[in-house]
Parts: sequence; structure tokens; C-alpha cells
Amino acid sequence: MDLTILRTDLAGISGEQHVREHPADRVIYGQTPLLAVAPGSLEELSQVVARLAAEPVAMVPWGGGTQQTWGRPPARPFVVVETNRLNRILDYTPDDLTISVEAGITLDALRAALAANGQMLPLDSPLPAQATIGGLLATAMDGPRRLGYGSARDLLIGIRVVEATGRVSKAGGMVVKNVSGFDMMKLYLGSFGTLAIIASANFKLIPQPRAAASILCRAQTPAPLWKLVNAIAASQLVPVAVEYLEGIAAIDAPFALTVASEGLPAAVERHLRDVAAFAQQAGVSTEVLRDADHAQLWSMINDVPQTAAPAVDELVTRVTCLPADLNRVLTAARAAAREADLSLQITARALNGIAYLRARGQTTALRLWHTALLKVAPHTTLLATPPALVAELPAFGAQIVNLDLMQRIKQEFDPDQLLNPGRFVV
Amino acid sequence: MNRAELIAELERILGPRGVVAHPDALYTYDADGCVMDTHEPHVVTLPTSAEQVSAIVRLAARIGMPIVPRGAGTGLSGGATPMRGGIVISTARMDKILQVDTANGRVLCQPGVINWELSQYLKPFGYQFAPDPSSQKACTIGGNIANNSGGPHCLKYGITASHVLAVQVVLPDGSIIWTGDGSSYLPGYDLTGVITGSEGTIGFVTAAWLRLTRLPEAVRVVLALFPEIAGASSTVSQVIASGLLPAALEIMDRLAIKAVNDMYRLGLPEAAGAALLIEVDGVEDGLDELLNDVTAICWRNGAIDVRPARTIAEQNQVWAARKNAFGAMGRLAPTYYLVDTVVPRTKLPQTMDEVGRISREFRLPIANVFHAGDGNLHPIILFDRRDRSQNQRALEAATSVMKVSIDFGGVISGEHGIGVEKQDYMTLLFSTDDLAAMAGLHQSFDPRDLFNPGKVFPKGRGCGELAALRRSGIAWSALKSS
Repeated sequence: MDLTILRTDLAGISGEQHVREHPADRVIYGQTPLLAVAPGSLEELSQVVARLAAEPVAMVPWGGGTQQTWGRPPARPFVVVETNRLNRILDYTPDDLTISVEAGITLDALRAALAANGQMLPLDSPLPAQATIGGLLATAMDGPRRLGYGSARDLLIGIRVVEATGRVSKAGGMVVKNVSGFDMMKLYLGSFGTLAIIASANFKLIPQPRAAASILCRAQTPAPLWKLVNAIAASQLVPVAVEYLEGIAAIDAPFALTVASEGLPAAVERHLRDVAAFAQQAGVSTEVLRDADHAQLWSMINDVPQTAAPAVDELVTRVTCLPADLNRVLTAARAAAREADLSLQITARALNGIAYLRARGQTTALRLWHTALLKVAPHTTLLATPPALVAELPAFGAQIVNLDLMQRIKQEFDPDQLLNPGRFVV
Repeated sequence: MNRAELIAELERILGPRGVVAHPDALYTYDADGCVMDTHEPHVVTLPTSAEQVSAIVRLAARIGMPIVPRGAGTGLSGGATPMRGGIVISTARMDKILQVDTANGRVLCQPGVINWELSQYLKPFGYQFAPDPSSQKACTIGGNIANNSGGPHCLKYGITASHVLAVQVVLPDGSIIWTGDGSSYLPGYDLTGVITGSEGTIGFVTAAWLRLTRLPEAVRVVLALFPEIAGASSTVSQVIASGLLPAALEIMDRLAIKAVNDMYRLGLPEAAGAALLIEVDGVEDGLDELLNDVTAICWRNGAIDVRPARTIAEQNQVWAARKNAFGAMGRLAPTYYLVDTVVPRTKLPQTMDEVGRISREFRLPIANVFHAGDGNLHPIILFDRRDRSQNQRALEAATSVMKVSIDFGGVISGEHGIGVEKQDYMTLLFSTDDLAAMAGLHQSFDPRDLFNPGKVFPKGRGCGELAALRRSGIAWSALKSS
């Protein structure tokens, strides 16, 4: 490969100032990309990908860079394809309650545009000032409010991608209900950019709630909090988030459960009242948080699973299981962490069976802990791994189910393994 | 393998009661609710297990015969029509609800379970299966999954895809897989998501873990009457824009009101040009406040009457009228063609005007019953099938509705699927590249095009051809300009 020619060609497409050689700020697990290129339009993105495919050289899509530690490091030398210049709102008619945005827009920028019209896209992600929509979709990152509003899977109504050859294709549309053709959105969502690079996405929006508040229940042991979780699950309350917290310094308690309610003022008050009553029965203290305190709490919780700046001795994982198994899984994770003398932080979507765990300590201890975790939660995914362990630990759990079928899909979309090679399960 | 051998082999797999081969009986399976195109299958099978489905699929693969899945046959896009004959696999005998797991918010059931029966079964547990197509008293879960079905309550609760947690599928090579167990984030591609809505073209669903939705603590229903459809439409827009999220927002126009009036003794004034059904639900607290706000919006938009349905009986009556409106059309004309398209919500009033124009242009009455909150239109073109000219005009009117919907930024199907009915309109919405990406996905599951062939993709540009062109990566511009 002649890097000079490639660089010149990419500069011809996107402009000299948008192509950088061996950029130190785009390193993934110690690997520096050959180049980073930042196309400024869909057409440029398509041409860049086509040019890189012709070389051929591997590509790693890069949004805000907050989730580049997820999974495994790239398997081959690669070029980073940045989406930061693709940050426009393409179509937004507020009364339609839909929006089309380019992949590089940050979650904060999108939120600001929507808030100006009293609307929201109820997706949460760590570090929203940096995190982009494209990255959020590629990893299918969720937030605590998935309980009430669903995840990107439920809110994504259309998509435009650039495939491995540079070909542009779309699916879905700008309407909230659509069965015209296959649901390609589901295919690209959570596929880590291994099938195509997401160029733009359409979402359904919802109006901002008239009221919002939360209740924070602190405890010295986890048991009463899980009693509270069960009481909420059995009730007809419809909280938007029920988050279990452990080892979070800002909470001022070793264990906590926090419940958010959004909607009509009277309905929110009812939730606060009922959860407080459940908490009293379970014997835990409660504190109601409103306005800035409420917002600050959830912003803090959202950032707990961040992977933009993990410590060098830190393992960040996502554990998923059936909701009723979550307490048991977290109990095992806690016991294993104590035994290995690791510090542990947990945020868990208590009614969804999803938990984000940050463990810190010695390499040997982390290895042991991860082995113990896999036994109780075989689908544990690694979101950030200490360099000493990255080559060794299975990034996507003990076993990938239906791998052969996924490989056939990959073969169909990216037969030359150009898109994020080595990163994902295929 | 000749026909007798095929039947013998199938009877060996399924027993004699599991095979339908009598020519008179096959006639019943030549179409679903879409009768534009009819084709009889070679044979119909009635398996009771995934293993039997797998054995049928392996046999079909060996002899190169198409497989056509069939639930209740209520589909409106021809999804169950055996376009190339072949073996129909009916889910009629796979109709068991296998496990209700409230602790994990999931229910396991077979594809032949009827949507309505599932929700009735779940009621005593305090749960429901939220998607509720108008045909819910007949349609099956398997059909709902295949078409990613909607229903009035999708406005708040989302479409079927949001309620399917994992599926057991027989793939075109006969292998049986589970795409998950109901927990989130199984590592890898979202197979559950791509199979849902694929109209039986890439896998045959033999069981599913579905999401349980808690029954709401309280429900309120209001029926608001307007002199014209415009008032009802703008009410819908304002309700949504004002930060309220009702459970359902449904509109019936003058003709539809006329049809349901006698049948359900609603006593609606037939001078009313539109009836808007509004349902709100949630915890009891705040619900009356919400209802008052909604009612005020109705009055502001020129409602002539606003009738709250307070009792369960009253609510059921209003809903029965809405959900059975299609059946009531029989009172207006011998045949109807129900068109399913979607437009952005703000384009609804203009689209309704265009539908009125189309009705006049093709000289056929069109009734409207639709999911207004979602922008999902259902113009019902009334005609007499025996009249050739009317037949032709009905088809042309339907095409016009699709074109108008696309012109307003909409799509050609919101919840009924593409099937055979709309396959040739896919090119109005999608480029060759768009279709080729879909064909690529199809190809990775069903490279021999044996599962429900001749559907979804445009005629004369089948998925095999699209996928081959896609792979070769040539002649894109040539194809696009053709």
C-alpha cells in the first residue's frame, strides 16, 4: 500500500485539512490508525469508503470516540473514518414528531434542538456532549429510561448507510409506523459498524413530559432494595426508570435504588408517593429529587458506564440476563469482587436485566473475577479492558449463539472484512 | 418425486391428519384476505411442532419446492398466497400458550395462537400482549410477527417488533434455532429484529417469547364528533403536539360512521363528518386532567359533540365499532379494497383531501377508518368486484393513494405488509441499491429463494437477481436508469 497516494486521494475527496496521518488521538488499544479522514457529506463518505475498499484497507468508523474500547481491537491496520463533520439535522418538522439527523451529531446537540420545541428523543448515553447518534446506534447503547420509553430499537424509524463498497442504501422512512420492506434498521443497530457505516438516522420523538421527578432509596444492604424492585414490578406503576446502584460514591450509601417518573404532575406525585410507601415497607430511607437535583442525579448515573477514559486497571462490562436473575447475578459478581479484592461499581436497569459493572484492581484478580462472572452471566460483554487482558478475555461472552448465520450475513455485506475487522463477533 | 410420493412422505412426517391434499380443500388455501391473485398450493401441511416443520422444510429443500407459511389467512397483502404453489405450512395446530413468566415479563407461545385469545388468557395475570390489530379476534401471533403488525394501541405501546423478545425459527435449510431467551443484548446481530416483519421469507417462526405489558390501572375513552374530517385531524395533531400521549387516536369518516351506526347502535348523528376515538390510560392520578385537556382541544377544533365512555361496557361498545368497522363495510358495497399507507402526521389533512379527490376521480366511494395518531391511513375503496370497470378503477384508486402518500413523504405500508399486493410499488419508495441491501439480507438466510417466494421484492427483479447484481457490484448505474 502506498500511503501517500491513498492520502492524496482521500484529500482530493474530503479536503487536505480533513485527512491526518497516524493521528495520536485516534489510537485504539495501542494501535495507531494509518490515517483518519473526516468526510463532510454523504457523497464524500461514500467516495471515501469506495476508495478505501479499492485499496483495500480496513476501516473503523469513529463518532465521538467514547466507545472505541468496546469489544476487541481492530485485527488489521486500519483507517479511521470520522463522522464528526456529518453533524447536521437533515429534516425536522416538530409537529410530525420525527427527525432525521446525520450520524455525527452529538446527543447533546440533538437534545438542544429538540428541547427548543418541547420535544425529546428519550435515549440516554454516557457523555452526551461527545457521544454521537451514530456511535449510540452502532453499539445499541441504552440508558435507564429504556424501561419507560424503549431503546433505540423502538425509536429508530429510518436509516441511511454506506456499505463496504461505498454504495449508499436506505431503509425505513420518516413515519412512525412502517412495514414497507425489511427492517434493515434492526440489522445495522448494534452491529458495531461491521455491515455498513451509518450515515444518517431517523427517529420518532415524543413531547417532553409536563413533570419529572425521582426518588432515591438508600440502603446498607442490597436485599431490601430488591424487595422494593419486586414491589414496583408487581404494581401498576409506570416509572420511566428503575435503576439499581452500588459502590457509587456520589450516592452516599453503599447501595441504592432510584426511580424516575415522567408525565402528568399528578401521576408523577402518585409514583413518588407509592414508591415511598413501598420503600418504607422494605425499611429503606427515601429522598425525593426534583428539578436540577433530579437532572443531575440521572446525568451522573448515565455516565457511570462511560468508556472514554477508563483507568488502566479497570474492566468495564455489560451483563445481561433475565430480569428475575439480575439480583443473583449481581450477588455473585459482588462476592467474586470481594474475594479478588476488587472495587466494584454497578448501575443496573433493575427491571430490564441489564447491568454495567466497573471493576478495578490487579490484572490477575480481574481475570478471576471475569471468569466467575461468565459462569453466572454467559452473555457478559467487555466495554473496556485493561491492555494486559484485551488479547485474552472473550469480549462477547462465553459463547456466540447462531454464529454461522451471523457469519453468512457478514459475508453478504462485507465479504472482504473491511469494516471494523476483528471488533465484533464476526 | 411425484405428487403421490410427496403426500406419502408428508404423511409419514405428520400423520394422515396433518396433510391436506384433496383438490377441493386446496382451493381454500389459494389466497388470504387479499384476493387479487390466487394460486393453489400443491399440498397443505398442519404440523404440531418445530421438529415437524423442520422435517417438512428439509423435504421441500431436497425437492426444491417452495414453502408458504400460513396463520389465519387474515392478511391483506397476499403474504399467505402460494404464488408458485408448493407446500403450505399452516400453524393451525401450533396454537398453544406454553408458559407465562410474569417474573421476567414474558410469555412463550406457538405461532398459531390467536392474538385476542392471548390477551384474554393474560388478563387474569394482570397483563396483555399490546399489539392489537383490528383483526385480532382471528389473526395469529405468527402472522403478527411475520407482518410486524400494528393496531390502534401502537400509538403508545409500539408495533409488534417492540414486543417480540425472541423467536424459535426453522431456517430454509431446516435447522431450528432460537434467537434468544427474552433477555436483552444477546451478542451479535439482532436476528429477532430482522426476522420480525420479514413476511415469512427468511424463516418460519415456530415459537416466540413475547413481551408482557402490564394492564393499565385506569382507562378513559372519549368519542368526539366533528362536522368535517379536518377538525378531527387537527385535533389529533394538537393533542400530540401538546405533550399528551394517548393510548389510541382513531378516526372514522362519514361513510364509516354510517356503516357502523346501525350495526352497533351507537346512535351517532350521521350529519357528523368524522368521529374521533381517543383513549388515554395509565395510573388513575392525572387521568381526568388529561381527559379534560383532550376534550378542550376537541371543542377548540369545532367538535359538535364530545361523549365520554365511562363504563367498561360503553368503552367496549365504542371499540367494537372501530375494530369491526371493516366488517360493517359489507353494508355499503359488495367488496372493498382496504389500502394501508402512512404519511407524516402533519400531512394527514392534505392527504385526506387527496383521498376525497381520488374517490371523485375514479367514481368510487371511499370510507376512511384510520390510526390518525400514527398518520396511518386506511382508505376503504368500495366497489363491486363483479364489475370489471369498477375492479380496474379500484386498483387505480389504490395506486393513486400510494403515490399521494409517497408524495407527502410517506410510505406504502404501515402495518399490512408488502406481500404480493404492493411488491411492484416498492420501486416507488426504494432505489435498486436499497432493495439490493434487503436482498442481501434475504440471501444470507434463503439463498435458494424457497421461503414464501415471489413476495416483497418487485416482480421481475427478484431477490436472487438483486443479490447477484449486488455481489458482482457491476452495472449499478445501468440498472438504476433502467
